[in-house]
Amino acid sequence: MLETEVVLEAEGLTKSFGRRAAVADVSFDVRAGEVFGFLGPNGAGKTTTIRMLVGLARPDRGRVRIRGLDVFRDFEKAMAHVGCIVEAPDLYRYLTGRENLLHFARMLPDGAEARIPELARLVALADRLDENVSTYSLGMRQRLGIAQALLGNPDVLILDEPANGLDPAGIREIRQLVRYLAAERGISVFVSSHLLSEIEQMCDRVAIIHRGRTLATAAVGELIDRVASDRVRLTARPAGRAAELLSAFGPAEARPGEEEGVVSARIPKERIPEALRALAAAGVDVFAVERPVPSLEEVFLEITAGETV
Amino acid sequence: MRFSGLVENEILKIARQRRFRVVMLILVVLIGLIVFAQVRGRERFLRKEWRVETQERMAQMQNMLRDGRMPPSWQRWTRFELGRLQYHLDRGIDPNAISGPLFVRGFANAASYLLLPLLAIVFASDIVSAEFAQGTIKLLLTRPVGRAWVLASKLAAVTLAITITALFGAFVAYLFGGIAYGYQGWGAPILTGFRFAGERFDPSSVRSVALWEDTILVFGLAWFSMLCVGAIALLTSVLLRSTAAAMGTMLAALIAGTILPRLAPSWESQKFLFVTNLPLPDYYSGSPPPISGLTVPFGVEVLAVWAAAALAIAFAVFLRRDVLA
Repeated sequence: MLETEVVLEAEGLTKSFGRRAAVADVSFDVRAGEVFGFLGPNGAGKTTTIRMLVGLARPDRGRVRIRGLDVFRDFEKAMAHVGCIVEAPDLYRYLTGRENLLHFARMLPDGAEARIPELARLVALADRLDENVSTYSLGMRQRLGIAQALLGNPDVLILDEPANGLDPAGIREIRQLVRYLAAERGISVFVSSHLLSEIEQMCDRVAIIHRGRTLATAAVGELIDRVASDRVRLTARPAGRAAELLSAFGPAEARPGEEEGVVSARIPKERIPEALRALAAAGVDVFAVERPVPSLEEVFLEITAGETV
Repeated sequence: MRFSGLVENEILKIARQRRFRVVMLILVVLIGLIVFAQVRGRERFLRKEWRVETQERMAQMQNMLRDGRMPPSWQRWTRFELGRLQYHLDRGIDPNAISGPLFVRGFANAASYLLLPLLAIVFASDIVSAEFAQGTIKLLLTRPVGRAWVLASKLAAVTLAITITALFGAFVAYLFGGIAYGYQGWGAPILTGFRFAGERFDPSSVRSVALWEDTILVFGLAWFSMLCVGAIALLTSVLLRSTAAAMGTMLAALIAGTILPRLAPSWESQKFLFVTNLPLPDYYSGSPPPISGLTVPFGVEVLAVWAAAALAIAFAVFLRRDVLA
């Protein structure tokens, strides 16, 4: 089954710098065609893990397999299936976009050059391809980096914090591109980030790393459900009346009055429809209902609640 | 992937960076300046017939020798020079003759001490460290190409850049030297192979060869010196991962190498240092080496050993080290 085929496999990755353990026993599988999030705060060991995935750093213990090929024993064959951006989209600034792509195409089997025009269109850089990369914005460099990573027709794309430093439009472009690559081209994408909201919008499954250890690996929705608890925000009129009615389901508060306003309440997910019907029956106008995405801190608090950290 | 493609990449990167043009410009400006200064100098000096001029110079030297206040290393050089000039007088060859082709050969001799090795360093010391500085090393080493091939392609590109630099230097020297002294004279006989046996001038191995033959040999030796310096600079680039640090280290070594024989001429072991052996063209043409025991075959051997060791270490480190920067 294509669905369950594992294309990237990390097994017990461990790496220490001096006495400090940067990554300890990190394992996960990335399946064919999925977008896999690697979530953790800065300094959690994300980049060190990625460096081991792509063969830049040797793990003290553990191994990485790409399509079943060990990255350290079968480097050239394994890397033929991978495209990556590690840390930042660093390319040759004194070369043009096209020269950069040609440069990396020459490091691949014949035929990679022929893909350059198509990839330039895909990342919307076709009209700027003959300008020096030094004139590119960060978003353009990020896209050129992705085009470079796609030159070899990889099965796995590894992106390290692709949204870092981008404006909202740039982040959206990257997100759409990643989803397109996974959905339409069947490429597995491994994305690291320190922002849960970003991972939530982009990924199918996620592994959470904290202080060099993976705390949980789960489908994104499942993880958020596990953590999102019962907080609900409503925009309703009159806000005071809404808060009163919602108190029946759990603690709720709003500024009293007849105005439209925000009501913060704690209602278990299963009871939200019931609560909304009660509001409607009482003639309260509801303009919006949202379950706030928990912050990464909240996720960590929730997941590590049972542990002694 | 073809190896030629990798080399093409590295050459593209060297050629597109400003330093390549700067090096070529340095050669043009410097050689132009030398020719200009030489022409001006000769105008004042050489008005007399060359035999008279040479004899006067020899008389001057002998007076200075008799005076006895010269440092020992100068005495050696003066005695050698006296022997060389006398030999030229005996054969009827003007030791100070100048022509475009002779200028080319003289340039290679003089530039082999510092200028040409320096230019080799400019290319080699940044070939790996620049990739670290730009962050591009992370892409370069995550492509389906073994690290040994990547470094080998860089070595090939540096070799080519050094070769082009040497050829371009020769071309510019001939161009400017020709403007000043004429382009003819490649066939003129040249005396070479003067030696210092013990503390005495030794003419036994002096040969007369055509200038073009001699020039090719001299440039070949200068080129070999540059390649060895390039190999050592490549090692510093791999080890230090910073262009400034690598270039600084190599520069310090070069300059130390040019002053060491003058400061400590009695320290014999310095002949095993690579810097001491860089002026191969000079040892070949026969100016007295700064310390005894330096010959062309010895120098070639020492440099080759240094270069081979440097490359072995560079490859071993480059292949194994984690890329974390």
